[in-house]
Order: sequence, then C-alpha cells, then structure tokens
Amino acid sequence: MKKIFSLQTLYFLIGIALLGGLWELISTLTKHEIPSPRATWLVFREVMQHPMQNDPDYKGIGTKLLSSLERVAIGFGLGSIVAVPLGLLVGSSKAMMGIINPIVQLLRPVSPLAWFPLGLAIFQDSHKASVFMIFICSLWPTLINAAFGASHIPQDHKNVSKAFGFSKWKYLTKILLPFSLPHIITGLRLSVGIAWMVIVAGEMLSGGIGLGYFVWDEGFNGGSIAKILVAIIIIGLVGLLLDKLFLFLQKRFTYAS
Amino acid sequence: MSAISLSPENHTETFHHHHAAPANGYATNSIEINDVSVRFKTPKGVFTAVKDISLAVGRGEIVSLIGHSGCGKSTLMNTISGMVKPSSGSVIANGNLVTKPGPDRGIVFQNYSLLPWLSVYQNIYQAIDAAIHGKTATEKKALVENNLKMVKLWEHKDKLPGQLSGGMKQRVAIARAFAINPSILLLDEPFGALDALTKSNLHVELLKLWNLDNREKTIVMVTHDIEEAIFLSDRVVVMNDGPAASIKAIVDVPLPRPRNKKEIVHDPVYMGIHDKLLGFLVDKLSINDL
Ligand SMILES: Nc1ncnc2c1ncn2[C@@H]1O[C@H](COP(=O)(O)OP(=O)(O)O)[C@@H](O)[C@H]1O
Ligand SMILES: [Mg+2]
Repeated sequence: MKKIFSLQTLYFLIGIALLGGLWELISTLTKHEIPSPRATWLVFREVMQHPMQNDPDYKGIGTKLLSSLERVAIGFGLGSIVAVPLGLLVGSSKAMMGIINPIVQLLRPVSPLAWFPLGLAIFQDSHKASVFMIFICSLWPTLINAAFGASHIPQDHKNVSKAFGFSKWKYLTKILLPFSLPHIITGLRLSVGIAWMVIVAGEMLSGGIGLGYFVWDEGFNGGSIAKILVAIIIIGLVGLLLDKLFLFLQKRFTYAS
Repeated sequence: MSAISLSPENHTETFHHHHAAPANGYATNSIEINDVSVRFKTPKGVFTAVKDISLAVGRGEIVSLIGHSGCGKSTLMNTISGMVKPSSGSVIANGNLVTKPGPDRGIVFQNYSLLPWLSVYQNIYQAIDAAIHGKTATEKKALVENNLKMVKLWEHKDKLPGQLSGGMKQRVAIARAFAINPSILLLDEPFGALDALTKSNLHVELLKLWNLDNREKTIVMVTHDIEEAIFLSDRVVVMNDGPAASIKAIVDVPLPRPRNKKEIVHDPVYMGIHDKLLGFLVDKLSINDL
C-alpha cells in the first residue's frame, strides 16, 4: 500500500500548526493590532482579486510580483554571466586568483544596499539602480563557488585529459564545466536567495513598483499590517520556490563517480 | 636477517646496465627505460621515488611490475606513459623519446578514471576524438562500437559510470585504452579492486584481445597479485622498496601459451616462479617474525 502521509509531511504540518498558533497568540496579545491568520487570509483573498491587473492607477499583486522578479532576473542574470566565467578563470589560474581574490574579499562584505545610491548616481534611474544592486550582490557567491569548483578538479580527471591529449576546448566542456557545474549552481542558489532578499529592500528605497514598494506603500503607509503580512508570505513562498528550483538543478547535475 | 630467511640467494639478473639491453628473444624493443630516476619536490625536500632504473621490453611482450605499495611502480609506469618526466635518464617508446603522453601508448589508470558525467559511449568517444586525428566522425563512432562490443558493454553504452559495477568500469577503461589502438598498453593495477571471479574473467578477456591483435601489443602491467602476474606475463619485474627504489630482480615466466589458469597452478615451473616471487616480496619477514 502506498503511504499517503509520510513522517516528513507530518512534521511539516506540525511546524505550520506551531507557526499558526504562535501567530494567533501574538495577535490576541496585541489585541489584534497584529491581525490574526484568519483576518490576514481575508485580506489575502482581497489582494488576490485581480492579481494581474495592470492599470496606471492600480497594479495587482501579481503584476508587482512579476516586476520584482523581472528586476531580479535581469540583475541576477547579468551578474551570473559575469561571475561564472570569471569564477572559472579565477579557479583555474593562480595568478587570477591572486589578482581577483582580494577584490572579492573587500567588496563581498559590503551591504548590497550601499550600492543603491551609487547605482542611482550612475544611472539616474531608480529601477536601473536596483537592477545594478542585484547585479553586484549576485556576483560574489557565484564567483566564489565557481572558483572553488574549478580549483578542485580531481587529479584523475586531469590525467584523463593529459593522457588522451584533450584540447583546451574539450577540457573546458568535458571536464572543467561539468565538474564545476554543481558548485556553480550552489553559487547561483545562494546568489538568487540574496537577490530576492535585497530586491524588497531596494524597492522600498526606489519606490514606484514591486513587492517592496507594496510593503512600504500599501502596507506601512496605508496602515494595513495585514497587507504587510500578506506580502511577507508571498515573498517567502516565492523565495522558497526559487531555492527549490536551484536545489533541483543542483541534484540533477551532480554525478556519482 | 634471521637464520631461516625466505630470501632467495641469487637475485642479480639483468639490470644496472647503462643502456637497457634488448629484451631476450624479441626482434625489437618496444620500450627502453635508460637509467631513469624520478625525484619529486615535496614540502619536506626532494624525494627520490625511483633511482637508476633500466629495463627493455620487447614488442609484443607482457611484463608485470610488482613491489610493495608506494615503492614507485606507478611512477615508473608514468614515465613510460609520459605523465611523469624522468628527473634523469630517458624513456624510448617505439623508437621515440617520451616527452608527453601519446596515442601510441594507451593507459588504464589505477582507479578507472572515467568521467562521471559522460555516458560509457561518450567516455570512449571523447578519448578517441582527442587522441586520434584524421578520422571522420563515422569512423570514430565505429571504433567506439567495436571496442564496446569487444568488452561486451554495448548494451550499457548509455549508462553513466556511477551506474556500473567495478568490473564494468574496468572494462570501459580497457576499451577506452584499446580504442585508440596503441602499440603499447600500460595498465596500472587494472584489476586491483575486483573480486576474484571478475578478475579471472578479465584476465582471459585481456589475453583474448592481445591474441586478436596477433600478440603485437606490448603490455606493461602493475599488480600486487603474484598469480595474476605469472598467469599473464612473459617476465615479472620485482621492485625494491622505496625511497629510491630500483629493480630487485627480473623473473622469466617460460610457461607456454595459451595458458590454462586451472592447470598451470599445478605446473612445477609455475610453482617455482611463484615461490621465488613470494620470496622476493616477503624477504624482510623471516619465519621467526611470523
Ligand atoms: N607527485 C608526487 N609528489 C611527491 N611524491 C610522490 C608523487 N607521486 C608519487 N610520490 C611518492 O613516490 C613514491 C612512489 O609512489 P607510487 O609510484 O605511486 O607507488 P606505487 O604505485 O608503487 O604504490 C611514494 O612514496 C609516493 O608518495
Ligand atoms: Mg600505484
């Protein structure tokens, strides 16, 4: 017989129930200043009424979500295009490692938000500035992990390349890339997680559109804590999905020897 | 050394020449190792792995290298394959000074060394594609097919190495080395990690492949297994323990071919060789130590 409920599912449900209970409790303690899960659910349904509406005066939550995702995709995509080859280069060459590593170490700890005003000064446009910010913060984890992969290619694989006289191109496509791929995907997964966290903050700064702006404008300024909670849940769910997507890719491209 | 030693008395055979003498009874030498020493730079200083080794291997000869773990067997093999440069001395393969690996020498590594993200088919195809120039894609594909059929893995061509057993991986590695049709095959503990039955089957398969090619391929093999060395080889080279390992003795195996595994173990010649080799390998242990 096929099991419908595994132990894992049970644990998951217990976790959700605990979270719901805690939420309910806090809601009661704050005399519903923090809305209850039920009240939030009603606001959620209301927010979800016309999710894809895209009028100048009213943009649905789905439209806002898509615009946030779009900026993440552009910034993260551009960042990855730079970080993957650079990381592989850094991992393959001691000289490149020596040159690039100090720069990465210096810039990596900088809060992504610190890049926002710089982006604004460069591009004179708050949307481009937040893409720029996402771009920068997407670089580091991917670069570091790609470099780690490229610098840890097992001697066995290198021996195959040497023994059979692989060309540079064959070495790149049949050994370096496939070996580094799971590491690269780990980097991308960390990067997209950071990018998704940062976009919300960025949109609070830039204003205008996106989920971050929704939190700030309709939630905080509009005095609706329920909307803030709704946004938090949506942001969390989307972040979770992005993470699972990259986790899936990571498993897909990891090989037992 | 204690009174009753297993060490044989006369083990000063053909070595310490400045130029490797031609291998007995062979028209041409396939490999000539001339006074080869290999030194590695390590954090603790220079480490001499093998010192002043000379050895000639005839065309079509099968030679085994035996010796204790870490004595320098792989290192010596790697000087023939061109994976390691001798610090002094030289290696000549097929009349050419060895400076790097080449398609005239096929290598089967100690641990298969298949690329885990490539299918069985692709592992062989990519090696052929890199090693062999001037053949069309169709010809290369035919080579892959022939060699995979030869080791009876054609049905498994689309599997990844991770889905294969140890013996199957070993056969892929052998097919890959054979596919580039090298005149010299270098096998580094090719059957080391296999169970006795698989090992036996692969011995027979290897000899079949060698026969198919009119016994013209020269095979140098590293092994720990005395029975395997005798069954397969024309000569067995015993190495001293490192550091600075040299050749301790070379033992001829004058058993006629084809050899039958079950029968030769009762052959007095076989038993004599076996005892001799065992003596070389365990001469540090005396009966009193056991
Ligand atoms: N690249 C290397 N650098 C330093 N030492 C090495 C290197 N390769 C082998 N050695 C040393 O040389 C000795 C012989 O190694 P190896 O040829 O692999 O032995 P075997 O194959 O007989 O077990 C060992 O002590 C080993 O540690
Ligand atoms: Mg070895």
